[in-house]
Amino acid sequence: MSSARSAAPLPYTDERHQMAAQFLTEEAHLLDTSDFEAWLGLMDPRIRYRMPVRVTAVKAADEADVQTMHHFDEDLYSLRKRVQRFQTDYAWTEDPQSRIRHHVSNVRTFEGAGDELIAESAVLLYRSRGDRTAPSLLSAGRTDVLIPTEEGLRLRQRDIEIDESVLRTQNLAIFL
Amino acid sequence: MAAAEPNGIADITGAVRQGLIPAFLYNDAEVHELERTRLFGRSWNFLAHESEIAQPDDYVVRNIGDDSFLLTHDSDGQIHVMFNMCVHRGMQVCRAERGSARTFRCPYHAWTYKNDGQLAGLPFHADAYGGEAGFIKEGQALLRAPSVAIRNGMIFASLDPDAPHFETWLGDYAFYLDFYTGQSAAGMEFRGPQRWRVEANWKIGAENFMGDSYHTPHTHASVVDIELFGEPKPYKRKEGVLWHAGPGGGTTYKLPPGSEFRSGLAYVGYPEEMIDRMAAALSPAQRALVDEPGFMPSASTLFPNLSFVHNWPQTDAEGRITPFISVRLWQPVGPGETEVYSWFCVAADAPDDYKAASYKAYLMCFGSSGMFEQDDVENWVSITTMARGSMARNLLLNNRMGLTLDGDPIVDQFGGFGGPGTAYQGFGEHNQRHWFSMWADLVSQPAPAREPMAFGMGERQA
Repeated sequence: MSSARSAAPLPYTDERHQMAAQFLTEEAHLLDTSDFEAWLGLMDPRIRYRMPVRVTAVKAADEADVQTMHHFDEDLYSLRKRVQRFQTDYAWTEDPQSRIRHHVSNVRTFEGAGDELIAESAVLLYRSRGDRTAPSLLSAGRTDVLIPTEEGLRLRQRDIEIDESVLRTQNLAIFL
Repeated sequence: MAAAEPNGIADITGAVRQGLIPAFLYNDAEVHELERTRLFGRSWNFLAHESEIAQPDDYVVRNIGDDSFLLTHDSDGQIHVMFNMCVHRGMQVCRAERGSARTFRCPYHAWTYKNDGQLAGLPFHADAYGGEAGFIKEGQALLRAPSVAIRNGMIFASLDPDAPHFETWLGDYAFYLDFYTGQSAAGMEFRGPQRWRVEANWKIGAENFMGDSYHTPHTHASVVDIELFGEPKPYKRKEGVLWHAGPGGGTTYKLPPGSEFRSGLAYVGYPEEMIDRMAAALSPAQRALVDEPGFMPSASTLFPNLSFVHNWPQTDAEGRITPFISVRLWQPVGPGETEVYSWFCVAADAPDDYKAASYKAYLMCFGSSGMFEQDDVENWVSITTMARGSMARNLLLNNRMGLTLDGDPIVDQFGGFGGPGTAYQGFGEHNQRHWFSMWADLVSQPAPAREPMAFGMGERQA
């Protein structure tokens, strides 16, 4: 896939930016309401969904050179398995469910290759479990490749830049 | 607690040796302090794999408890494990997690160490100290880890200069360790680690991987339900053998009838060329473990807090079965908090296609997002939370599965198992009791006092 993108973000008045921003808001709503089937429906069949492990490196080094691992490196098969697991009666880590909220902001949209759109966004995930442990926060940047279809935009690729080297949440039984 | 009855350490270790676990052990500040000084102060601790610092000048920074260590591959090819504290004023010398460097300069006063630890630069040595007359720079270096050992490329260190000889201590566990990290003459490649903190006591993960085949059918029912991994069905899991040997133990799955080495490995998804490598790397006795009746190692723990897991899930929609190996540390942060370090591990010379599928298998099952691990951690956090209260101070949890009330095994040791050590088929907490007996041995013995070391003073040490 090409990583080509326009130099400047599309203006907020551009309809393509508005479509991308609405896509991200509606997607967050699906995740916050556990409508995972509908969320999977937003994926292009070739989806690559990745979240590398962040490594504390000296400023002069390129962090990507010392990264060897992901938290997520998903295709449609593995995303579907994760969703199917939540739908069983035995996914204890999310039964009782967490109270979660995806706060999506800082959306910048660029023209990509062909009719693709590149959408950058920030996401803050608030997650509260049970009544004994403190809530956790996950902050991340995302770079998405969105492709237009007759049914609307579909997510072709998501690269998540998580803002921690050591996660302070008990697991990633969530999507960012 | 250490001296005061009724929860003195003698009472605690006495109960533990009977297979009864005082519930508060899973969240208690005084027990944590004993573990820090007496257990982690003396045990062999895994730090990193050589493949993480494969090139000259590569380094990683890792911890044993609260102590930060700098692991380097020096410019001459030697591996060094050094306490990451500047011997001048105590600053952490290297504050990055990994990278490549020939020298490390302390940010405070610019004392500079070569990557073999030697003190190379001391600003204004002549002006500030009067040269060697005031501070003997010659021969000074970062403090070495008191004891270091390497096996299968895995770098271990002990804070105890009198630690038992590593290979002697490892004993018969080495037989099983090779199934995880001795699969190829070319060595293994470690990727990661993923790191995350969980509000759980470190002992729970160590015990779980040591021998808890009993939790698998229920805790992990969801992964069977979605046909990600078919083995943990209750009837299959109880056919497995639990073994302990030397300072570790583990679980196995029973292979299909008529299994032999090659067919057993093929059943769990190893391609032919990897089976060839494993056949060459493993001894005849090790290969025989997979022969009829046929057992495949799954989870395991090497005391105190290093665990392994080997499973073989379905990694694509077409039904490909691919095995993976993960190595993980349960690093205590506090009585109720653990930092998990989880690596993916694969034979360095495995085909790229296999590496990619095995990596996917790992990410789907274990690690920060793994579908097995998600449910495990939920349990462990809950145990740790419950252990904090008053009721837990007077509750002895039952760790006696597999024993009668008189202390006799409910089944005989399993004679058909090809590996060394003690083996039982079916469910049981034999391995967890073995783990706790080692725990009790260490936490009941005060750590010996050590002479402090002074730097730059030559023979005129305090």
